[in-house]
Amino acid sequence: MTDQLTFPDAVQWAVPFFIAAILAEFLWIAIKGRGGRYETRDAVTSLIMGAGNIASGFLLGFIAYGFFMWLWRIAPLDLGTSIPVIVLCFVLDDLRYYWVHRFGHRIRWVWASHVNHHSSQHYNLTTALRQTWTYTFTFMMVVRAPLILLGFHPAMVLFVGGLNLIYQFWIHTEAIGKMPRWFEAVMNTPSHHRAHHGRNARYLDCNYAGVFIIWDKLFGTFVPEQDDDRVDYGLVHNIGTFNPLRVAFHEWVAIWRDATQPGLSLRQRLAYCFAPPGYSHDGSRDGSDAIKAKHLARHPEDHGTPGFERFDKKMPNTQAKNA
Amino acid sequence: MPLEILLVLVGGGIGGITLLLHLTGKSRQRVLTPGSARSEWARHAPDDTVTDVTLTHDGHVALIRTPAGVGLLWAFGADTVARPLQDFDWLDHPRGVRIQFHDFGAPGVVIRLDDLERKHWRHLLETA
Repeated sequence: MTDQLTFPDAVQWAVPFFIAAILAEFLWIAIKGRGGRYETRDAVTSLIMGAGNIASGFLLGFIAYGFFMWLWRIAPLDLGTSIPVIVLCFVLDDLRYYWVHRFGHRIRWVWASHVNHHSSQHYNLTTALRQTWTYTFTFMMVVRAPLILLGFHPAMVLFVGGLNLIYQFWIHTEAIGKMPRWFEAVMNTPSHHRAHHGRNARYLDCNYAGVFIIWDKLFGTFVPEQDDDRVDYGLVHNIGTFNPLRVAFHEWVAIWRDATQPGLSLRQRLAYCFAPPGYSHDGSRDGSDAIKAKHLARHPEDHGTPGFERFDKKMPNTQAKNA
Repeated sequence: MPLEILLVLVGGGIGGITLLLHLTGKSRQRVLTPGSARSEWARHAPDDTVTDVTLTHDGHVALIRTPAGVGLLWAFGADTVARPLQDFDWLDHPRGVRIQFHDFGAPGVVIRLDDLERKHWRHLLETA
């Protein structure tokens, strides 16, 4: 079984391309007068978050890599490094990404790491670089374990993961409207990912895909961007800071404050850590289902439209009351 | 990629983009009107009905009244942030008043007030 295998760190090599693409997008917006917005402190915060993400990889990456190499030593298979194997690894890793991303929105412990990526009210190429510093602490590296146990070398798994992240860079833009229909049907695109970044009730918890949008269509989380419901970017409760430390850690601090308040049962404390964002022991906060139900109570005409299909038109008030 | 080159690229990229954005006027703070303050509050808190808006003279902060209580809306770069005025402290500040929320993700805001509006805003905050 091959222990020593090296692949390039694709994300690091893509840094010059990231910078050039940001400049190109900025110029495009300046010349055309449309296609997105830039704001200095927002963009700088995003770029510093990106730099911090690379730094955290240097500092903490050994934990995940050590775990992966341990798995590799007990893996019964070695599929090698042929091109078809790398392609298969890329597709399966994208399925892995879909589920990690979905967990990132539905489990508060993982959301605490991912939330910073959604914390900008802008949507441009710098937003793509607003990445987590605390991914290691989510322990989501375990979701890669099946790939390694199936015989994909850890270095290859990390390499295709890097390619996945590079693919996702270009979809963080308003400068591109829609891609050709066949492309929109199969691939994650700027349009699909804009919807994912929306704080509108319709777009909450949709379009988790990395590269292939087919996973969302397969697992029932696909919501197409609507011309009559312009995406409002950011968080349901937007943060009021450009300080990268606060951006990186604000949800972890919130979890700590919630879970350590006096008078809670153990179950309630655990729910503050691991239930979907919006959980509260006294019902004082709204999760995404409650937000959608309240939206439908205000806008009953949206019943049955994309993003609201799960809500029964016959009993909107019941759900609104429950919310 | 050698670490030195990566550091130069990242540092130079961040510095260059920051300079470009600032020099092209992308650092301007949002200026609110009574109408935009209402619509922004509705964006942040769609369940609320705004009954009254008090804007600072510089247009960067608005005190919002709703049947549910009083809230603060302030310019956050080109955008806005809103918070209900609960669980907060306010302190005098050389330029006006400083609001401190007990919220790690929105620690506070300095409300810039001229001499004419300072007393009025103190009263508004005392009664909030």
